Amino acid sequence: MSWHEWLAVPLLLSGAVFFLTGTIGLVRFPDTWSRLHAVTKADNVGLGLMVAGLASLSASAAVAFKLVLVWVLAMLAATFSCHLISRYSLRESERDDR
Amino acid sequence: MTEAFSWVFDGLLVIALVIVAARVVFTPVLFKAIVMFIVFGLLMAIAWGRLDAPHVALAEAAIGAGITGALLLAAYSDLVSVRRRRPHLRPRVRVLRRHAFFAASAALAFAALALVLLQVPAPESGAGTLAVANLDATGVAEGVTAVLLDFRAYDTLLEMAVLLLAVYGARAVLVTDSEPRPDPWPTEGRHGSMVAALVGVLAPLIVVTAGYLLWVGAYGPGGAFQAGAVLAALGVLLRLTGRLEPAAASSWPQRLVLVAGLIVFSLVGLATLFAGGTFLDYPEAWAYPLVLLIEIALTVSIALPLILLFSGSPGLATPAPEDRR
Repeated sequence: MSWHEWLAVPLLLSGAVFFLTGTIGLVRFPDTWSRLHAVTKADNVGLGLMVAGLASLSASAAVAFKLVLVWVLAMLAATFSCHLISRYSLRESERDDR
Repeated sequence: MTEAFSWVFDGLLVIALVIVAARVVFTPVLFKAIVMFIVFGLLMAIAWGRLDAPHVALAEAAIGAGITGALLLAAYSDLVSVRRRRPHLRPRVRVLRRHAFFAASAALAFAALALVLLQVPAPESGAGTLAVANLDATGVAEGVTAVLLDFRAYDTLLEMAVLLLAVYGARAVLVTDSEPRPDPWPTEGRHGSMVAALVGVLAPLIVVTAGYLLWVGAYGPGGAFQAGAVLAALGVLLRLTGRLEPAAASSWPQRLVLVAGLIVFSLVGLATLFAGGTFLDYPEAWAYPLVLLIEIALTVSIALPLILLFSGSPGLATPAPEDRR
């Protein structure tokens, strides 16, 4: 195995750990906000580690650039959907309180 | 090692597809069923990717999961507003559990058919072999695009006519529903500045992606249908955030865009006919530019009908500047 493969393995494995914990949090946490907290944090870092691992595995600058672009776009989408879901559930809970 | 991993991954994918499909059918909550349908489309796109069919994967993700999901959500929100205004008109959502026997028989019949079909030897030379052998004559290097726009161009032309008919069919239904309906996507106060900023960032990216998919169709996975679906997604976003508003009638540029694909495609076909050839049989030297011209026209003529179907209005308009929030 060459050095970039050695670099990729721990990155991919730790990324998988982040995804696993995020998924456990999504399933186990009690309300919408703590679930969102678990899944978005794990998603961003987990996907970032995966992208870093795959980029070093590909050993190609062009592929790495595209992967980073995927990561940035996925983070953008995750941020906004998290914002929208949490705001919606906040409004719904306020409506229930009244 | 790699092969074992593929088996595990594909196995999990198949199990997830079956479970999600069952959830779509059996969930009594309509909203959950729609979300599960979108998840099913995304999983299906991965499955097509695993089967080395990136074209179908792209189409499934963009049209199957994306646009169809948006249409279903639009229909759902309309349904909710109808229920709120006229509670006696409560449409019943039937759970299909009692049809389990028929479903099981159908699955059994399908399995028997599949078993028989798997025994049949593959044909030595079908249309696919012929198409690949004659790919050079089409002016495009990508097999799927060559099939769609050259070998079976007539089918694609008719598909465009079907799409146009679908829009006019939806419009006919819209006109007979005389009761004024509230816009299912009221914009004021619902979307903060963050969503506007997101659309501002995404819009140019989506246009570039659609252009890329259109251009790359000549030699890689892509083409007019995928590009049109991506453009339609942009239209859905603009409609949801109030940058596009429903209009009672389509303006003439919108009508032109609606029929552009059909007209350009038909004109090219007639031109090849009058130039002494067969209908839609492009002369070899002209094949690539003609295919590209048709693809550009198809892209916009695929995108606009999808946006209009989502919007549920005969036309679209940009809001007056003072209305913009």
